[in-house]
Amino acid sequence: MTVRSIGAYDFPSRSRQELYGDDQLVHLWFQENPWFCASACFRAPKAMTWGDFWNALVVPFAEEDPDFDPEARRVFTLHGAQFEPRDDQTLEEIGVEHKDVIGMRVLV
Amino acid sequence: MKQRYEALTRDLDWEPSYVAKSDVFPHTEFEGIKIHDWSKWEDPFRLTVDAYTKYQAEKDKRLYAVLDGFAQSQGHLTLTEASYLNAMKLFLQGVTPLEYQAHRNFAYLARHLNGPGPRFAALCQSIDEMRHTQTEIHTLSNYNKYYGGFHNYLEQHDRVWYLSVPKSFFDDALTAGPFEFLIAIGFSFEYLLTNLLFVPFMSGASFNGDLPTMTFGFSAQSDESRHMTLGLEAIKFLLEQDEANVPIVQAWIDKWFWRGYRVTALVAQMLDYMLPRKVMSWKEAFELYFEEQMLGGLFQDLAFYGITPPKHVDDAIAEKEILSHQVYWTLYQFSHAAAFTTTFPDADAQTWLAENYPGTFDKLYKPLWDKEARNLENGGRHFVRGLPQLCQVCQIPMLFTEPDDPTTLCQRESVHNGEKFQTCSNGCQWIFEREPEKYVQAWLPVHQIYQGNCGGPTVPDVLAWYGIQEGDGGEYKGSVDDTNWKSWHNAADHSHIGSEA
Repeated sequence: MTVRSIGAYDFPSRSRQELYGDDQLVHLWFQENPWFCASACFRAPKAMTWGDFWNALVVPFAEEDPDFDPEARRVFTLHGAQFEPRDDQTLEEIGVEHKDVIGMRVLV
Repeated sequence: MKQRYEALTRDLDWEPSYVAKSDVFPHTEFEGIKIHDWSKWEDPFRLTVDAYTKYQAEKDKRLYAVLDGFAQSQGHLTLTEASYLNAMKLFLQGVTPLEYQAHRNFAYLARHLNGPGPRFAALCQSIDEMRHTQTEIHTLSNYNKYYGGFHNYLEQHDRVWYLSVPKSFFDDALTAGPFEFLIAIGFSFEYLLTNLLFVPFMSGASFNGDLPTMTFGFSAQSDESRHMTLGLEAIKFLLEQDEANVPIVQAWIDKWFWRGYRVTALVAQMLDYMLPRKVMSWKEAFELYFEEQMLGGLFQDLAFYGITPPKHVDDAIAEKEILSHQVYWTLYQFSHAAAFTTTFPDADAQTWLAENYPGTFDKLYKPLWDKEARNLENGGRHFVRGLPQLCQVCQIPMLFTEPDDPTTLCQRESVHNGEKFQTCSNGCQWIFEREPEKYVQAWLPVHQIYQGNCGGPTVPDVLAWYGIQEGDGGEYKGSVDDTNWKSWHNAADHSHIGSEA
C-alpha cells in the first residue's frame, strides 16, 4: 500500500547515504548485554579499517560499561551470518553497508 | 434549546450555487471515505458559542484564582519533592505543544469538513485546545521561576531527541487527511488512550501536592469528556455512512493505536519511576484503562460495525510488565542530554517496583540497578557516551525487546528503494511498510546530529542548540533543583527563595 494523498507524493529519504558523503551510519548491537539500552549508532567512513572502527569508535563507547573487556572473545554477525573481522579490512570490504546492524556477542 | 442551537449553528450553512461543492471542500474525497448524508452527524454536546465562552470563562476564573494563591503562598515548597517536577517538565515539553497543534488541525477541520455539524464541533474543540495550551503554560510558568527544565520547551519540542517522539506522532496525524486525523487524534488519542496519556499526569499532580496542575486537569476534564464523545461520534458516523469505510477505518485504528501506544512509553516510566509518591503502576493503569475499559467495553460495542481490536494489541499487552523499566533505564542513561533529571531508584522505590512487578523487576531489572549501584560506589554514573539507534517510525531508541523474550532487543528491518530502515517492533514495521514514502522523510534526531544539522558535532554543541542549560538535565542528586530544594527546606529564613543565581 502507498500513501493516499491529494497530489503527487514522492520525497527523498532524510537518512539516505549520500547525505553522509564518504561516510555511512553503522549500528552496533551489544547482544546479551542489557547495560546498553539500545544498539549504538556511529558515523564511520566506508574506508575505515575495522581496527580503527574498533579502537576509535567502539571502545570509547563500550568502556563506559564497567564490565567491558576489549580483549574478550566475540562473535560478530552481519546480514544474519557470522564474520571474523581483520583489523586491516575496511568496513566496505567486510560488507558493511549504510545503516547496517552489526551484532556483537561476548563468548563466555 | 434544540431549535436555538440549530439556528445558531447549522442554519448558518448554505448550499453553494456558483461553485462546485467539491471545490469548496476539496479535501474530503482522496482518502476513500464515502459520506452520503452529512446531516446524520449527531452533535454530542449542544453548545452555542455564547454558552461555550460563558462556561469556559467561569472555569478559567477558578483556575487562575488557584494559580495566584499557589504562587503567592510559595506553594511549590509543598510539593512532595523537586524531582516530582520532572513529570511536569515532560508534560510541558512533550504534551503542551501538541495541544497547540491540535488547535490548528481542528481549526482546519472546522473549515474543511462538508457538514455544518462536524464543522461546529471541530471549531469548539479547536478553541478548547488553544485554551488548554494557554492554561497549561500559565499553570506551569510559576515553576519556571524556581526550577530548571521549563524555560525553553517550545524550541526543545522541535529539536530534542526524546521530544521527537510526541512531535513526530502528531506531525504524522497533521499530515494525514481530515478523516484519518479524526481517527488518529479524535478517536485513538482522545478516546482510546486518553486515560493512559493525559490522566496519569493529572493524578500524579494530585498525589504530589501540585494543586495548580490538578486544578488545570479538572478545568480541562469537561472539555476532554466532550472530545472523547466527539471522537466516538466521529468513528460511528464514518462506519454508519458506508460499509466501504469499515476496512479503511480499521486500518487507521490499527495504525493509530500502535502510534499512540508507543508515545505512552514516556508516561509508563513517569508513573513507575518519576513520581515520588506513586499513584498506580503502569501495569495497573494499562489493565484498568485499556484492557478492561477499551478491549472489554469499547471494542465490544464497535464489533457491531465489524471493527476488531487493534492489530498488534497482543504485543502491547505482552509489554505491560516490562515497558516502564526498559524506558526509564534508557532515560536514566541519556538524561545528560535531556531537559529533565533522573536518579537511581532508592530501596523504597525498588521495593515498590518489585511488589508491583513480581514477575519481572527482581529477575530482569534489579540486576541492572545493582550493577549501577556498584558503578556509583566506584565514582561512576551511567551516562552513555554516544548515540543510539532509533526506530524509523516511533523515533524511540530501539530499546524494546522481542514480544516473547524480554532479554533480546527487537530489531526489524525493511528495505525501500534500496535503503534499509529499522523499526523497533512488529507494530512500527507494519506501519512503515504500509506507507514507506511517508516515513522515509522522518527527521530522526540521531541522523540529523550526524548530518551536522544540530549545532555541531560535540555533545555541548548539541545541548547548546537544544537550549539546555546547566541544571536542566543529568543526575537529580546534587543538581541545581536538588540543592535549592534542600536549602529552601532547611533554612529558617525563606526570603532568599527564587533569588538563587
